[in-house]
Amino acid sequence: MKERPASEIALERINILFELAEKNYRRREELARRYLQLAKRIAMRNRIRIPQNLNRRMCKECYSYLVPGVTSRVRVRSKREPHVSITCMNCGTVKRLPIKRRKQE
Amino acid sequence: MISSENIILHELIGLESLVMTSSNPTCKVKGIVVDETKNTLIIEQDDVRKRIIKQDSFFRFKLPNGTMIEIDGSAIIGRPEDRVKKKIKRRW
Repeated sequence: MKERPASEIALERINILFELAEKNYRRREELARRYLQLAKRIAMRNRIRIPQNLNRRMCKECYSYLVPGVTSRVRVRSKREPHVSITCMNCGTVKRLPIKRRKQE
Repeated sequence: MISSENIILHELIGLESLVMTSSNPTCKVKGIVVDETKNTLIIEQDDVRKRIIKQDSFFRFKLPNGTMIEIDGSAIIGRPEDRVKKKIKRRW
């Protein structure tokens, strides 16, 4: 029987954990944090990257699930270089995403 | 998807489960798995969390596609991040 590679199962588990964190972040903050921490460990163990869209919803320091308006503050800053800054309301860590100009194709 | 083949490697958190252990009546819990450690599963039933030892119990899980699967607890021992990599005990 052909075995599925561990990285495929790892990716499924990471997606499941992020979905669970989304359901739970309001009532059970600590549970959502634990799920995200677990997702990161699974990714590290199996040497795969968490998908970018999910990684941006996770705080690097405290593993909170970032929801704009509720657990995070999102601002567009135009000084220096235009970028989007996401501030985690639990620990104060700021995640900055530079805005890239789309090239004309 | 979680299937009967890869339940040992897959995520147990979030699954509905029923614990069928013979000796201790307080351990017969039905609920949703909320957390997992190396030797235990934490199952929540009506806002009460119970920590069940994996080794001594039989679990019945309901998978997202509707199948029910019964599994010996000693087959899922291990930290959740360790279980992703295959844990196969060869008996021969």
